[in-house]
Amino acid sequence: MFCYQCEQTTRSDNGDGCGTANIGVCGKDATTSDLQDLLVYAIKGIAQYATLARELGQTDKEADAFILYGLFTTLTNVNFSAPKFVSLIQEAAAHRDRMQALYETAAKEQGHTLANLQGAATWKPATTQAALQIQAASAAIDKDLDTVGADIIGLRAMMLYGLKGVAAYAYHAYVLGGEDEAIYAGIEKSLAFLAGEPSDAGALLKANLEVGHINLKVMETLDAANTGNFGAQEPAAARISPVKGKAILVSGHDLKDLYELLEQTRDSGINIYTHGEMLPAHAYPKLRAFPHLIGNYGSAWQNQHAEFAAFPGPILMTSNCLIEPAPAYRSRIFTAGPVGWPGVRHIENHDFSPVIQVAKAMPGYQEDAEEKTVTVGFGRHAVLSVADKVIAGVKSGAIRHFFLVGGCDGAAPGRNYYTEIAEQTPKDCVIMTLGCGKYRFHEQEFGDIDGIPRLLDIGQCNDAYSAIQIAGALANAFECDVNELPLSMMISWFEQKAVAVLLSLLALGIKGIHLGPTLPAFITPAVLDILVEEFAIKANGIARDDLAVALQQAA
Amino acid sequence: MSYKITLSTRDKQQFEFTCTAEQTVQEAAEAASLYPPFSCKSGICGACLATCKTGKYSLASYSDEVLSAEAVAQGDILLCRTIPKTDLHISVPYTADNIPQHIHKPRTAQIIALDNIAERTVKLVLQLEADSELGLAFDFEPGQFVELEVPGTKLMRAYSLANTPNWDGRLEFLIRLQEQGQFSAFLQQAVIGQSLLVHAPSGAFVLNKQSANPRCFIAGGTGLSPFLAMLQRAAEWGEDHPTQLFLGVNTEAEIMCQAELAALQQSLSHLAVQICVWKPVTDWSGFIGTPVDALRNYLQQHNSTQDIYLCGPPRLVAGASEIALDAGIDKARIYSERFVAS
Repeated sequence: MFCYQCEQTTRSDNGDGCGTANIGVCGKDATTSDLQDLLVYAIKGIAQYATLARELGQTDKEADAFILYGLFTTLTNVNFSAPKFVSLIQEAAAHRDRMQALYETAAKEQGHTLANLQGAATWKPATTQAALQIQAASAAIDKDLDTVGADIIGLRAMMLYGLKGVAAYAYHAYVLGGEDEAIYAGIEKSLAFLAGEPSDAGALLKANLEVGHINLKVMETLDAANTGNFGAQEPAAARISPVKGKAILVSGHDLKDLYELLEQTRDSGINIYTHGEMLPAHAYPKLRAFPHLIGNYGSAWQNQHAEFAAFPGPILMTSNCLIEPAPAYRSRIFTAGPVGWPGVRHIENHDFSPVIQVAKAMPGYQEDAEEKTVTVGFGRHAVLSVADKVIAGVKSGAIRHFFLVGGCDGAAPGRNYYTEIAEQTPKDCVIMTLGCGKYRFHEQEFGDIDGIPRLLDIGQCNDAYSAIQIAGALANAFECDVNELPLSMMISWFEQKAVAVLLSLLALGIKGIHLGPTLPAFITPAVLDILVEEFAIKANGIARDDLAVALQQAA
Repeated sequence: MSYKITLSTRDKQQFEFTCTAEQTVQEAAEAASLYPPFSCKSGICGACLATCKTGKYSLASYSDEVLSAEAVAQGDILLCRTIPKTDLHISVPYTADNIPQHIHKPRTAQIIALDNIAERTVKLVLQLEADSELGLAFDFEPGQFVELEVPGTKLMRAYSLANTPNWDGRLEFLIRLQEQGQFSAFLQQAVIGQSLLVHAPSGAFVLNKQSANPRCFIAGGTGLSPFLAMLQRAAEWGEDHPTQLFLGVNTEAEIMCQAELAALQQSLSHLAVQICVWKPVTDWSGFIGTPVDALRNYLQQHNSTQDIYLCGPPRLVAGASEIALDAGIDKARIYSERFVAS
């Protein structure tokens, strides 16, 4: 086992990454970690043939979708089930064989000489778990460390992790009917590039930025799928205190799962609560139209042990971030989509009847709590609808600066930085936020500037697309580059979706991003030097000082 | 005088607590709010079987059916009979989630069905009363057992659950009626509606959920119970793991649950069932012999990648373990539960 894909990975003087213990910090055991590496390897093999087939005009929807789903299962805090990965590896091999046949048939028909692929494209997975574990060494992320060095391994890893995030967002779009051939082509080409085990730092850096561009297309497609299915986000109050009655809690990011559950519990008397990254659901008109989408419960993912144990109903986990279910709620937590935990019941095909059965059997909330709300729904449509007001505010000096304070939350103590940034931001500044990082400050009262709320909740982490659109629109209005806007980005990262978003921001040429709470372990000092030189990327310092510098530079 | 006890689990977690020279390790664990699987607490059932890796200890009296002299020589112990003489490092054959840190109080249930399903075998169905905290829910892991107690008496026996965890409060058991058994005598005169106390579930005879290996289940008589629970859950969850089940009985009259097994095969396309009749009295056309014989044949024809699960009388468990070990199956992949007649 070697894994350093998330922010909480083990850091030590002997080297960063989880690997010496039998279990990672996230709770993923060594067996599962090794099998995930093999699945990624097998998926690269699919991509190698899919890329060649695509050049000959041949595509395969099943293989495209499998690549998204398969990579999504390997994100941090998604799937921990070793048997699941054994079966996914065999599935991947079957897809690869089908893509090989598709390519070779097309090549012969079109008179091309067959390509002589190597590596993942020719890999034969063992049929037993024990034998697969022996094969895992050949698929480890750091297997070439001695020959290519840590910088190349890190650049390959950053690209792979970015692609995992891209695949996860693309999967969210896919389940809502959002697809684009350019996305599949881009992901597959990038994976095929990685399958070639590249060792040129310049080429890898360029390929990383290309992943950022692919992710922009993915986030655009997901934005279109979300708004197409559920309407554009609108500012709305989301209740954050309980209501008497039976209850189901929905966590993760998958709005399709939430919608289906809302349909299946219509008129049942069961209230549906969002959790974590589901909070923005309250801003979508077609989801909000369900009266039993009653409110939001709890906070960000890392607090789920205490929060899920205290919730008086079942819990549905639709995507990351799942951590080991505690005995107190293990029998009433369900997974869906790419998520899985050994011994936890998995829901297929949106049939939530077992979840509903548990909700009916459990006591639910016995009484109403005092009503408390937070305001959500400041996506690009809402913000840009008052663009004139915002621009006037900037021009008059009423709005001095914008801070984008968002991304993932996590358990690391250093994440208080983001609370301090939000709290210490001067009253003539606007804070835009997204992702679950907002839970560190979103219940606070920030007031407004001439009717514009000082805290604008843009949505989920994938609504970074909205933030980019807003920044672009402001840059157009002021006839300047985004980097010249009075805008600072304080991005908190935890897992691979955030890596994809970071690569998108870099691909757009955005400079001066503060990235924290700690820099990724896979960004080596030499790679960091490049990122600092080309993108002026910054590590977190002291919140007060970083704020002062940001405001000073903008002045 | 007290000593440090370290329990290491299969998933490499560790639990530490102190134990005096007058306590058993099981008693000390419970005093520290740790509840490793247990049942009889008198050295008979084998539920608390473990292996001492380092340290000195004495063993109070125990049944040699669950702890042979050879096993003792290799360091095998029963936590309920082990009294430390030094610090001990003990390896337990289950994962950390099989050691709960609190234990629910016994709950009351009514008998709602008690049917003869085979010779000297009954199916007991209980309906729990609602609990203020848990409602009708009764959480357990398929493969675990509970102790049933006749209220107002000291009569208590452990039985494996034969159905899956549910939210309706329904508990099912397959029970072999023992000629001299006190609980068997109780059941033979029990009536519908009669109350029993159901103690918290225990036991580590549960599926290794992180293994993708094919499974081989060997059941002796009502040793079928935990396998019914495991297979029902697999069917409910759509987990069609390659599984071979051998059910051993003495005669055709003891064959049980054929309809349930057929229904499970409808749901689980990779489930194969073979009933093994040891001493047929009719023109039985199926396998003649014990499930140990059947396992021997099976392993001769298949590779050694199976995980082996054994449940039944001690002799069956010992015999099947030996066959599996001889076939090259690692000891760590042989999981067993012994039924002790009482």
